[in-house]
Amino acid sequence: MTTTSTFKSEADRPVVRRPWLSRWSDPDDTTLAVILLAPAAILLGVMIVYPVGRLIYTSFLDLSLTSGLPARFAGLGNFKQMPDDPVFWQATWNTVLITLITVPGSLVVGFALALLANLPFQMKWPVRLSLLIPWALPLSFAGLIFGWFFHSEYGVVNDVLHRIGLPGVIWFNSPRLAFAAICLAIIWKASSFMAMIILAGLQTIPRSLYEAADVDGAGRVRRFFEITLPLLKPTIVVALIFRTITALQTFDIPYMMTGGGPGTETATLAMYIHQNTVSFLDLGYGSALAVVMFGLSMLVTALYLRMIRGNGAAS
Amino acid sequence: MSSERISRLAGLMLACAATAFATSSSADTNLKVFVTSQGQPAIWRTLLDQYEARNPGIKVGIELGGTTSDMQAQYLNTVLTAKDSSLDVLMLDVIRPAQFAAAGWTSPVATDMSSYLRAYAEANTIDGKVVALPAFADSMFLYYRKDLLDKYGLQPPKTWDELADAAKKVADGEKNPNLQGLSFQGKAIEGAVCTFLVPYWSQGKVVTKDGKLDFDREAATKSLALWKGFADSGVAKKNIAEVATDDTRKEFQAGNVLFAVNWAYAWAMSQGAESAVSGKVGVARLPAIKGGEQATCLGGWEWSVSAFSKHQDEAKKLIEYLSSPEVSKYVAINGSLLPTYGKLYKDADVTKAVPWFAEAQAIVETAKPRPVTPRYNEVSEAIRTTVNAVLAGATTPADGAAQIEARLKRIIR
Repeated sequence: MTTTSTFKSEADRPVVRRPWLSRWSDPDDTTLAVILLAPAAILLGVMIVYPVGRLIYTSFLDLSLTSGLPARFAGLGNFKQMPDDPVFWQATWNTVLITLITVPGSLVVGFALALLANLPFQMKWPVRLSLLIPWALPLSFAGLIFGWFFHSEYGVVNDVLHRIGLPGVIWFNSPRLAFAAICLAIIWKASSFMAMIILAGLQTIPRSLYEAADVDGAGRVRRFFEITLPLLKPTIVVALIFRTITALQTFDIPYMMTGGGPGTETATLAMYIHQNTVSFLDLGYGSALAVVMFGLSMLVTALYLRMIRGNGAAS
Repeated sequence: MSSERISRLAGLMLACAATAFATSSSADTNLKVFVTSQGQPAIWRTLLDQYEARNPGIKVGIELGGTTSDMQAQYLNTVLTAKDSSLDVLMLDVIRPAQFAAAGWTSPVATDMSSYLRAYAEANTIDGKVVALPAFADSMFLYYRKDLLDKYGLQPPKTWDELADAAKKVADGEKNPNLQGLSFQGKAIEGAVCTFLVPYWSQGKVVTKDGKLDFDREAATKSLALWKGFADSGVAKKNIAEVATDDTRKEFQAGNVLFAVNWAYAWAMSQGAESAVSGKVGVARLPAIKGGEQATCLGGWEWSVSAFSKHQDEAKKLIEYLSSPEVSKYVAINGSLLPTYGKLYKDADVTKAVPWFAEAQAIVETAKPRPVTPRYNEVSEAIRTTVNAVLAGATTPADGAAQIEARLKRIIR
């Protein structure tokens, strides 16, 4: 966003000299900047730059721990393997589909929940708390819970169907139904995150705007589209960036619910990476797959950032 | 900052942490044994207590992990890739020693293997080195409800067709909608590999020959079609693709299953206090495809010493104890885990506890091992996900067989 510009102005400011700095350690501006930035730089270096660099390096190696052979430079060998790998295509397609379905899905549901929570309740905390719970639940628990919900024999979904006189469905036998169940679980889980961010945004909109609109005779719908939505746009874009990136990395919920089944019909790219590295110990190919996912995430982030910049210029 | 400098910095920090921990040493040697949570840890605990009593100065702790063979392997893969020294002794599924040895994760042990059953001597000897010692033997058996077969004047089936007929006859007579004719493993777990292989082998086919792929697509289609047929005709339940090994055990034990494909461990629990079928269970050889031979899958678990253990000698001594005839006999009697020594199958104490073990030796000795390759995890994945997809109805048996073949071709070249 606007970090670079603020930073510049910060640096321009005269450095306030603290009395406890002794003379020999009294640095000039450049040194001080280096000292102050060092912790963040080291942290970023150790936690992000080094692992990502190492990942990209490994993606060019033929490195499989089960082969018993030492790592060997393979050039683009790992990447060339992908086009003929049916599971790669299936997992990538599933990941894209999950993103396309659950991002708008959780936005719509989250928005509705935020609007509900923003109503002037007498007691606000029960509403807020119930919004928070799905978000606070670990992803794998959510996957496990929904896995049980949709279990064909012990699940509550089929139980409800039986009670209203409908036949039960073996959800995880059908790729489509299994996929739908996964999307539902993800939307349930992610909506509360969206709702919380949007709720925070809603509360920054001054009430006076609505009162003025009221005076001018604008109805509920008009007020929503003319005031709420435009003022929430930056909030929504930020929420969408976070949501889209986590959607591209979807792992826990399908892993716990279906394990990618039936067959590999509901596997995601993150699951396939995990399988290649942790189960097959093919670190080279797994890293190459992870590089593809990294690229996909970067691409989407770049698109969103462009969107924000476009918005900023317009407003 | 260069990556080299960063890794040096990280190394320094680790070294500091290591020295901080190293100061808290005690006089005892502490060994950590990884036991599968499905491997009846309570029994092993009793044996380890005995070992501690006999070997002052040695303390042995158990670490449990994973409910299925593949989940245990995933956990061990992460621990051992990191060269973590916290585990000294590992309990491994019979399919793992070859892979773990190839990865350099296990230490060779010098032991004479001639007294063990031959299948286990072979599975644990890789390139002439003994890399693990047998914990217990196993193979898949057909569990059946003796009371129900007797009631309808039926014999344990010799072919899968006979099994389907028997199941129909009992179902027609019992009119119990909760009674399943046959339960087997259709979930995409390690057990599903055996599900596929049993009828495939029964047709006299192999997966690999001299390390090369020798896949018979027709036999594979027939195997997949057999299992799918059971689900379609109502002999097995419709959601068989959701069933894992222990589900089969629980449902059989609850009295809801006539025939079940399962390992030896299910016996002890089927005769336990919580079982609805105690005293009504028979165990037989798995049926054959019509015109084929009766085949079964070799199972069992092994003890190995982690190459990263800091107590190599103590750990080796421990696994020699854990795979001794004394221990094998104890777990056979108390956990219905099949002995790894031939002579124990006829042992009076063993056959008193588990009568059918007297006939089990021949079955275990002719059980076939799953393909031995360092890339076994990939072979397993290709087979079990396809078995699961076919049983769920997402793929046809013919397409499934073609998929298995295509995926195996990429793995075993």
